[in-house]
Amino acid sequence: MKSHAIARRRATIAAGRVGLIALAALAFSAPARAAAADVSGDLVLLDWAAGSEEDMLKALEAGFMKAYPNVTFKEINLTTQGDQRGAIRAALQAGQKADIFINTWPAFRKELVDAGMLKDLTPLWTGAGIGDNLSSSWKDLGSIDGKLYGITYTFGDRSAMFYTTATMKKAGITAQPKTWDEFVANFKKLNDVKVNPIAIGAKVWSHTEWFESIYEHLNGVDMAAKLTSHQIPWTDPSVKNTLKKYAELIKAGCCGDANTMLAMDWDNASDAVLKAGTYGYQMIGMWNNDRAQSTDGLKQGDDYFITQFPAMGAGHDDVASVDTKEFSEFANAANPAAADAFLAWIDTKDAADIVAQHGLASPSTKVDGSLYGPVIKYSVDAVANAKVQFVMGDLLPGDLVDEYRVQLQKFLQDPSDATIDAVTQDLEAKAASSY
Amino acid sequence: MTEATSDIEGVANKSPKSPATGGGRRKLAAARWWKNGDVGAAYLLLVPVLVLFAFSVIYPLFQTIWLSFWDIKGLYPPKFTGLGNFLALARDATFQHAVVTTLLWTGCTTLLSVGAGWGISLLCALAPRQTLMPRVLIFAAFGVSEAVTGYIWLGIYRPDAGGLLNSVLTAMGLGGLAHPWLGDVNTALWCLIIAYSWAQTGLPLILIYAATQAISKTVIEAAYIDGAESGAIMRHIIAPLSLPGLRVALFINLLGSLRAFDTIYVLTAGGPVRSTETIGFFMYRESFTQFKLGYGAAATLVLLIAVLIISIPAIIQRTKEVR
Repeated sequence: MKSHAIARRRATIAAGRVGLIALAALAFSAPARAAAADVSGDLVLLDWAAGSEEDMLKALEAGFMKAYPNVTFKEINLTTQGDQRGAIRAALQAGQKADIFINTWPAFRKELVDAGMLKDLTPLWTGAGIGDNLSSSWKDLGSIDGKLYGITYTFGDRSAMFYTTATMKKAGITAQPKTWDEFVANFKKLNDVKVNPIAIGAKVWSHTEWFESIYEHLNGVDMAAKLTSHQIPWTDPSVKNTLKKYAELIKAGCCGDANTMLAMDWDNASDAVLKAGTYGYQMIGMWNNDRAQSTDGLKQGDDYFITQFPAMGAGHDDVASVDTKEFSEFANAANPAAADAFLAWIDTKDAADIVAQHGLASPSTKVDGSLYGPVIKYSVDAVANAKVQFVMGDLLPGDLVDEYRVQLQKFLQDPSDATIDAVTQDLEAKAASSY
Repeated sequence: MTEATSDIEGVANKSPKSPATGGGRRKLAAARWWKNGDVGAAYLLLVPVLVLFAFSVIYPLFQTIWLSFWDIKGLYPPKFTGLGNFLALARDATFQHAVVTTLLWTGCTTLLSVGAGWGISLLCALAPRQTLMPRVLIFAAFGVSEAVTGYIWLGIYRPDAGGLLNSVLTAMGLGGLAHPWLGDVNTALWCLIIAYSWAQTGLPLILIYAATQAISKTVIEAAYIDGAESGAIMRHIIAPLSLPGLRVALFINLLGSLRAFDTIYVLTAGGPVRSTETIGFFMYRESFTQFKLGYGAAATLVLLIAVLIISIPAIIQRTKEVR
């Protein structure tokens, strides 16, 4: 009897709990639905995405409109070639009015903040509970002077090297190198089968990736932040030592001759690694993952994979270079309620899963990791366990970033100590007038 | 005094204002024209063109001049700097290098494209029917956009095995000459010059060929009858009489080369190490990637002045020829 009574009491309590949960859910969802209904009108996005990223964006818009049925997305599309900042600036100066836009350059974010064009999203972070979906490190990456201006919705590992399994098999490399010494030792194996170890497309910018990853692994993310904000000069020993290490790589026969590097853009380098198999590795962003599948018809994990930049043993091997894409809200947004709602929604589970389904990494803690392919999964794990540093080139002011790329081209032509001195002096001279 | 001499003296003694002189005749004609209402109609017909010209040329020109006096960096508030941008340009080693590159680029592409066009047109003039197809093919290249030209030559100059030039060299047993053509500062500009000249040869060819077709057939027939060889006819008759077409072609190609951008952008993006950066590319970089609109505008004006220096004498001379 007693046991029956206990069982009844337990059942009553359990039923009560279920009822309470149901009531709570109703109580919660009713205002949520009401709030969603209150948000309405056109939400205008200044959009420069293309290809598969544009497809993902469309899916995100559809997902948001499902949650907020009274909102309609409108886009101002910018069709651009190369650096899209020029087109965005031109659109804004021409008086185009948008509520939100996609940004991937922290230096550009600062320019917009200094011009008073972006809204401080710090209150939204707190009020809408965005912190429940995103860790504070992403908040830091999107902030300037402690104020949040960009909500990250995707990111890419920029310290990862793409390779094909066929090339590695041909060279007899069965396990990917974990340390710098192992990595350099593999050059001989690759050279022996007439494969250049590393493809560096130095025609425009992708040769800077190597400088940045070496710098961060030798000096850490704090020094990288100081260098990009010019708290330390470009003539600093940390820069010179990085270039000397980069020079070691070149002198070890990493990359073929300098003129070939300077003739290749990043996509030529990608073709050389993934299609032609004439080069072993390429360090490049995760957009190459989509390119490998859609353009080259390769299967990730089987035909190609990535490996993280090797440990250099200088006490900073827990770093990863990343790029991010974030949404920012204009200070003069015509529909701030819809803009806020979208920015609060963009890292929820629904949105994060859409990002993952489209082959990109989401920073959301709510994302379903099983949706990732093997390459993105590897990169997400690598970044999750690292101190992240935004791509240094994207943190530099416009004037300086151009000089930075050109000076590193000079370095590739002649990686001698004399060139290192000249290059760092020229960079410092430019930096002195750029901030 | 003969009657003829008297007539000459009579004309010479007439006042310039006399109705019988040229000036007087023009006034009379103008008066008649005005009376007929032709001037009003003429101006009315000119209005759409003038409005379009003002909107698309005059306004942007004055806007560019105005911008050149401002220090504009991205979306930061602009600051008036007067001639500061021009002074900065004069000190800018990158701009100075771009000026030298532009001179070399413009001179070489013009000489190469017009020279080739002239040579081919002279050959075509000797056998017009037989050379129809080559003329059409060469002119067709002129119809290809500069960007597409860039992509075609990118495939030719590629450094890997897919590059046409290196493949051909290798197939001919000259693999040792294979080279990353666009990555070497010593070869990149020359490769660009060849690519651009290839596309620009068509126009001089057609212009000069048209000039050769205007040469009276009787002159050439007379030369043949007098026993002149084809080479001599080309040297002493066709070549000199094709010069008006040559002058127009030089003028047009020179201006086109000064403004060239697309081919450079696609093939080298101004590199390696800015070795192929012309003023046009410099202007683009400063204005559209750095968004230093004032500085870019100042560079644009320098380019405009160079264009005017070349254009004005040529236009004056051409106008005199027409009169």
